[in-house]
Amino acid sequence: MIGGLIGLVGFTVAAGADWRYGIGFSVTEIWDGLTRSNAPMRGLAEIDLGALTGSRARDGFLETLQMAVMSSIAGALIALPLALFNSKLGAPNRAVYAVVKLLNNVIRAIPDLLWALLFVAAVSIGALPGILALFFFSLGVVTKLTSDTIDGIDHGPVEAARASGASHPQMLRFAVLPQILPAYTSFSMYCFELNLRASAVLGFVGAGGIGTVIDFYRGQGQWDRVWGVVAGFLVVVIVVERISAVLRKRLL
Amino acid sequence: MSGTETQRVADERFRDAVRPEKPFNWFRLTVTVAVVAGFLGASLSVDARWERLPEVPGELWNIFGLMFGDLDLADLPDALDSMWESVGIAWIGTMIAAALSFPLAFLAARNVSGRVSVVVTRQLLNIPRAIPEIIFAVALIPIFGLGPLAGTVAIGLSSTGTIGKLSAEIIEGCDHGPMEAADAAGGSKPQLVRWAVMPQVMPEIIAFWLYRFEVNIRASAVLGVVGAGGIGTMLQQSIEFRQWASAGMALIVVVLVTILIDMASGAIRRRIIRGPRPAAQT
Repeated sequence: MIGGLIGLVGFTVAAGADWRYGIGFSVTEIWDGLTRSNAPMRGLAEIDLGALTGSRARDGFLETLQMAVMSSIAGALIALPLALFNSKLGAPNRAVYAVVKLLNNVIRAIPDLLWALLFVAAVSIGALPGILALFFFSLGVVTKLTSDTIDGIDHGPVEAARASGASHPQMLRFAVLPQILPAYTSFSMYCFELNLRASAVLGFVGAGGIGTVIDFYRGQGQWDRVWGVVAGFLVVVIVVERISAVLRKRLL
Repeated sequence: MSGTETQRVADERFRDAVRPEKPFNWFRLTVTVAVVAGFLGASLSVDARWERLPEVPGELWNIFGLMFGDLDLADLPDALDSMWESVGIAWIGTMIAAALSFPLAFLAARNVSGRVSVVVTRQLLNIPRAIPEIIFAVALIPIFGLGPLAGTVAIGLSSTGTIGKLSAEIIEGCDHGPMEAADAAGGSKPQLVRWAVMPQVMPEIIAFWLYRFEVNIRASAVLGVVGAGGIGTMLQQSIEFRQWASAGMALIVVVLVTILIDMASGAIRRRIIRGPRPAAQT
């Protein structure tokens, strides 16, 4: 316990200190920066909600929504079989399990923005690389969460199905699927929320959505408009989250 | 009534019996229609230039070939260095968030604080939760300049919302017995929190801090894309300038380090939640 604590403090100091291997964290610098007059904070004080009514922001929001809807649905659909294979119970054999598990770990270790960078390099800018990036991101999230659920299901129906001579696919269909369906639906909706939030930043690497608009106003130094768009985005995210929370409660 | 008579009646009943009709599930139909319609509507209306889609697998294969075809070990020290910076940003950012969110969590828990405090604090925690780290980072770069400090503060601020909300929920889920006991023994509110609530909730809250650290590593790995320090800068620049080999090396380092830290942190979290093994106490 004490050893662990010392290690923890040591790690924090090593990572935070201002030396060759530290990030040079300093509270005074933060205080100085925040108290100095600066453009983003001045913009926040005179936030311009009028930016939301322009066609630029409207198209951005629409694109963000379209991207999130498509990629969540496509990603969640493909994640269901992968989730089955990603659990010891559902995989037809050890080899499939090992391959799917490795693939899923790699997919999940690559952050959404990095996917976007890769796809922008592959097919150039626009909504398509954004959709593809969110698709892979959703695939990783939903597969992982759902396969964790499969590990915790009741084994009674599985044994019953096997005892009455069900084949492996039949067992999955009638013993496993009914048990995980509510959780799976709930994870898919959670993933939609994540995608909506993520699609706000994909625009910074050219992958479409409302992020493109935020990046445009930032490039122009119009921070009042940046914060206007961010505020609008905030409202959209919170509203969607509320609706989704109600629906998810009904499902579980 | 004879035995055969009973048998006949039973057979008749069995013959006439029909399977009860399955109740029609309106909810499922609505969801299916909404999902299909949403997907079709979005895919047809979005301006994605779908004709590029068939090229994607080929292009991606091409890029992966260039990335991992001729890896150069000379890039490794650079990649490890920047990844360490990302880990540092994630760790210090998580520490900031933990320190900021800890008091807020108690203010947002219904069983500890009053109504007004709960409502106000919850709204306060909702705002950073909805804003992605990158947006914080781009707003902080003009203030702190390009570099890890902007990224650290961005991670810290945006994690405060999530950690605060989850911690408040953990506090609300704690057992009421000790609180009543402390109250009955004449404990003041701070004493109540210190001796009845904190011992119950600390393991779970610390485990969540660690989990958030894992999430933040992924976030800090990309913060460099906008110039807020860490390995993202290396990734973004090597991809932009088509130096595929060093992009590949950076990608490998990100994936491996992320998976390794996930595993280590996961083991520590399970140990914290489970508590010390009985054998270790003897």
